[in-house]
Amino acid sequence: MPAPFFARLSPLAAMALLLAGIGLGMTVLKAVHYDVPLLPELTTTVWTVEARIGFRGDGGSSKVEFLLPPRVSMERVIDENFVSRGYGLAILEADGRPRKATWTLRRTPTRPQALYYQVRVLGGSVVTDASVPPFPPVPDYKEPLASAIQAVLSQAREQSADVFSFTEQTLRILADTDDENVKVIRNVDDRRSWEHLVAEILAGARIPTRIAYGLPLERPLVEGQLIPWLEVHNGDEWRGYNVVTGAPGYPPGFFIWRYDDADLLRTRDVRDVGLSFSTTQTRVAQMDVAQLTGAAFAVQPFGIDLTRLPVSVQNLYHVVLMLPLGALVVAFMRVVVGVPTFGTFMPILIALAFRETQLAWGLALFLTLVLVGLSLRLALAQLRLLLVPRLAVILVVVVCLMLAITVLSFRLGVEQGLSIALFPMVILAMTIERMSIVWEERGFGETAKETAGSLLVAVCGYFVMNEPHLEHLMFYFPELLLVVLAVLLLLGAYSGYRLTELFRFGALARAR
Amino acid sequence: MTSLPEQGASAGGSGGWLGRWRALRGNGVLGINARNRRYVMRWNSRSKYPLVDDKLTTKRLALEAGLAVPELYGAVRFQGELIHLDRVLAAPESFVIKPAHGSGGDGVLVVTDRRRGLFIKGDGRALTLRDIEYFVSNILSGVHSLGGIPDVAMVEYRVRPSRLFDAISYRGVPDIRLLIFRGIPAMAMVRLPTRASDGKANLHQGAVGVGIALASGVTGHGVVRDQVVDEHPDFGTPLVGHAIPDWEALLAIGARCADLAGLGYCGVDLVLDEDRGPMMLEINARPGLAIQIANQCGLEQRLKVIEAMRELPTDIGERIALARELDAARTAAG
Repeated sequence: MPAPFFARLSPLAAMALLLAGIGLGMTVLKAVHYDVPLLPELTTTVWTVEARIGFRGDGGSSKVEFLLPPRVSMERVIDENFVSRGYGLAILEADGRPRKATWTLRRTPTRPQALYYQVRVLGGSVVTDASVPPFPPVPDYKEPLASAIQAVLSQAREQSADVFSFTEQTLRILADTDDENVKVIRNVDDRRSWEHLVAEILAGARIPTRIAYGLPLERPLVEGQLIPWLEVHNGDEWRGYNVVTGAPGYPPGFFIWRYDDADLLRTRDVRDVGLSFSTTQTRVAQMDVAQLTGAAFAVQPFGIDLTRLPVSVQNLYHVVLMLPLGALVVAFMRVVVGVPTFGTFMPILIALAFRETQLAWGLALFLTLVLVGLSLRLALAQLRLLLVPRLAVILVVVVCLMLAITVLSFRLGVEQGLSIALFPMVILAMTIERMSIVWEERGFGETAKETAGSLLVAVCGYFVMNEPHLEHLMFYFPELLLVVLAVLLLLGAYSGYRLTELFRFGALARAR
Repeated sequence: MTSLPEQGASAGGSGGWLGRWRALRGNGVLGINARNRRYVMRWNSRSKYPLVDDKLTTKRLALEAGLAVPELYGAVRFQGELIHLDRVLAAPESFVIKPAHGSGGDGVLVVTDRRRGLFIKGDGRALTLRDIEYFVSNILSGVHSLGGIPDVAMVEYRVRPSRLFDAISYRGVPDIRLLIFRGIPAMAMVRLPTRASDGKANLHQGAVGVGIALASGVTGHGVVRDQVVDEHPDFGTPLVGHAIPDWEALLAIGARCADLAGLGYCGVDLVLDEDRGPMMLEINARPGLAIQIANQCGLEQRLKVIEAMRELPTDIGERIALARELDAARTAAG
């Protein structure tokens, strides 16, 4: 049987073989010869932290000065990289002070310009500058703030033994928004952050503090800002404090960029200056880390290397590269298994939404949306609206429902409910419309069958697209897309039975 | 019918999926993937699809060729024409409204009677003119066409089914499906409406499909929702052994329709009207596969025999004779 099968498909099979061969060949070469790890387990997480400075010139010379992370933070850094095509770059290193990058250009174009500074940082424990500070002077508070602060401080003093426990007590009292003194303090019109106000209050007890600005390295960040974090010195060491909860410590993997109010960015003769930070996780082979520390950027000298792209684009491609796998799942489920679905790629978009909401929540939210939407749609049938306005009405209803669920879950403190906004609304509205038509014409059974089929495909798609091993492979070996293509070509030429047909034609499988 | 290999017997039981697969293969059952790749894509040119996808075009072609079709009372193309709908509906006592691009019998409204300004549906329910206008407006919006493309609503003659089918059809009109390959009828069945199908001759909706022997025009077993039955589910009357009248003429119309559409592999739907005789309803470029269950026979061998022939007769009579001959030979062999 297989011989004529291949004979008939030879040009197509040859093409598929060629594509798969190229894809697999490049992957193997990359893995074996260039030591790109095939499994995420063989890797260590390395964070790429990227600062992006955007601005416009005015046609004349320009100068941008940017503060680089302090020496102590650079201990965690494997390497750094400046991306500044055409600009002159100088790195100033003053004694005992953080380094500064200075970019200059004689004729700066008026179109948008972007300078990038990237560091690759090892995850792990937070390090902070250990220099011993002087005791701060007691600030000169105004009434009624002064009495309120004095009351809080004396209360904290009674309940504490040392600087750290004093700090914790103060933060605990300040967290109680029903306290009269705290109300006075919280009402102060201060444009700076709460961290600054807390630092000023602690200065009332002559406790040395500083504000560290940095980035938590926990989940990928796109175009964010440095966040302030309070540090307190007890005469021996610095300790970070969460000023909201009063808990000691730092955010996970906190990478400190600057202390207090040192100027982060100084520019001359440029307009529309914007500074943002992005972070993304990359994985490098464990053995590489040792080699990399202090060495040049790891370059894949071969094939497509996505880790060289700007960080925000990398984060996008982590998702985009999983889509073909989702399409593969749909093709397989339709052609080989024969599962009926609403729309061709609707299940994949739903699966993509499941990635963000988590599976159980996603299913619950999807079913709620569809059930309520469907009952409203069936009620709408009485109004006899024309098709396109009716679709638009359903879309608005879906958006309202999503809004209601989000607000409700926020009130109830259920975080997962907030992610519902990630559902593809237009697709949902079309699905509800299709469902109602199928319902009216073919009845509940057929509707339930197709809904179950769509969800089954969506869940399979979710498991495939959410598989960290596959995500790792697709991101580091995008050449595997050729293999996906080859499999899809073969699926397109599949002329065997669908699994569901084995049951459908069951009556014909028996000899009579 | 065809001789079936013995190992098929184990397929239902522990033979499992592979056993079932082999049994279906052995019986020459055609699956959807194989139908699409080997027959629909190979034998049907995409450019011919518009001729059969648009029932108005099909009807025009058939009329030009002198084939009988249900008379067209009028077509509604735009929402604005809805106000003239009452004029179109004024004359005929009974009529059918259907989308020109509909598929699988969806979106068909049958009005059998009228009483005091109301329209009586096939199932006895009464509709106002407003109800019908809404129904037509939905058709125009493309509710029943693929991808929601704006559609045209056709108002046409309601077929009075031949009395022959009274005992084996629940309301509605039974229709005869001929599967034509390279101009040669390869398989046939008649679709009988049931209570479950709401009087529609649509297998998806629960109508009975009954196999017809090509050589004799006599009915065999039936299929409801992919299950073999020998009696009509509503009446309990036997389905086997009814001789279809005008069988030769029906086969000839089917073969001519396939020529008309220029499709190598297609399904032709015919009806038998009490007064006006055989008529062509529509042509399908992707005919369903349930016809195999109704005939309890796979399609593949039949198609392969026809596919292997290097020269086929062009004369309609010779082609019908060939089709019946092939069927008779198969029956004899079985």
